[in-house]
Amino acid sequence: MFLIRREISFYLPWLSSPFNVTYETMAATGKVLVIIGLCLLPILTNGDTCLAPQIKSQTYSTPEAIVSTETVLIVEFTVNCKNLLKNINLYADVLGRLIPATKTTEPNKYQISISDEHKKLPSGNYEVRVFDEEGFASLRKAQRSGESTEALKPLFTLTLNHPGIWTGSIVQTEFVAAITAIVVWWFAYTSRAKLLA
Amino acid sequence: MAGGKQNKLSREEELLLQDFSRNVSTKSSALFYGNAFIVSAIPMWLFWRIHQMDLYQSAIIFVIGTIISTYLVALAYKNVKFILKHKIALKREDAVAKEMMKKLADDKRMTKKEKDERVLWKKNEVADYEATTFSIFYNNALYLVLLIVASFFLLKNFNPVVNYSLSVGSAAGLLALFSTSSKV
Repeated sequence: MFLIRREISFYLPWLSSPFNVTYETMAATGKVLVIIGLCLLPILTNGDTCLAPQIKSQTYSTPEAIVSTETVLIVEFTVNCKNLLKNINLYADVLGRLIPATKTTEPNKYQISISDEHKKLPSGNYEVRVFDEEGFASLRKAQRSGESTEALKPLFTLTLNHPGIWTGSIVQTEFVAAITAIVVWWFAYTSRAKLLA
Repeated sequence: MAGGKQNKLSREEELLLQDFSRNVSTKSSALFYGNAFIVSAIPMWLFWRIHQMDLYQSAIIFVIGTIISTYLVALAYKNVKFILKHKIALKREDAVAKEMMKKLADDKRMTKKEKDERVLWKKNEVADYEATTFSIFYNNALYLVLLIVASFFLLKNFNPVVNYSLSVGSAAGLLALFSTSSKV
């Protein structure tokens, strides 16, 4: 077996001097690649996390119940990461329900919507906890093991204010019309009865 | 009745006949049909604007409904007027006679018979006028109640065309039916 001494230098961003790997056999190449991979891992994972996200959000909630059978809550937001990440997958936790955030046609714009019966979504503030993939994985893990998910830190939290739904006026217009007509008729009827008496 | 005898009816008798007949004068009839038409056309607006029926697409049913309804409402006007007229005439008899006598008291030349005739004529006129206007008012009020209750509550889940036909038909039909009752 020939022993060939070789030296390879790696330039890693967090090291001021080159990282030198010296290996002596051709067979050691695999090991070196593993080491390189391990060294690069923090960079790769770091690259997936959105740093200091800036959020612009808009919310919508169903205003009335006359023409809508269910209450819908929608949050639309734009995420701008400091490390200029784009098209990351985001997930939301609203009232314990996990919903994937829908990517819209605009870059970095997402939408989350939930709908349910009017009674199940009363008026009030709804906390929308948004997680990235890593956070979502730990959230699922915590859920599976039955732990509280409260302690998990989301990427950011949005608040949706639902002012409540308008179920229509207490007295319907046709009812008012009918009552008015009946009152006028009653007046006519009593006058007629007096005339015929 | 023989034709020759008909001409010999006195004016008083003619007035009496007119008083008891169901026939209405042309003027009164025009008033009835005009009013009946207006009232029957109102549902068209209701079904056009509120029940979202298209005015042109449903023109045929609107026209048929309005014509039938106009006829039935006018019939109801006539019937109610006929019943009311006699009652009103009896109620207003004394007041009218008193007023007419006061008015005619100065006229020395007029005979008693002539004065009575004048009173009868005036009584007929007053009763006719009051019965006509009251009949229009009463029937309009009843028609609108029937129509609103039928179209908004009883038939609200039906398709607007069915709703229109049934509510206008039943309102006008019931109105005509109620008008035939002579129950006090």
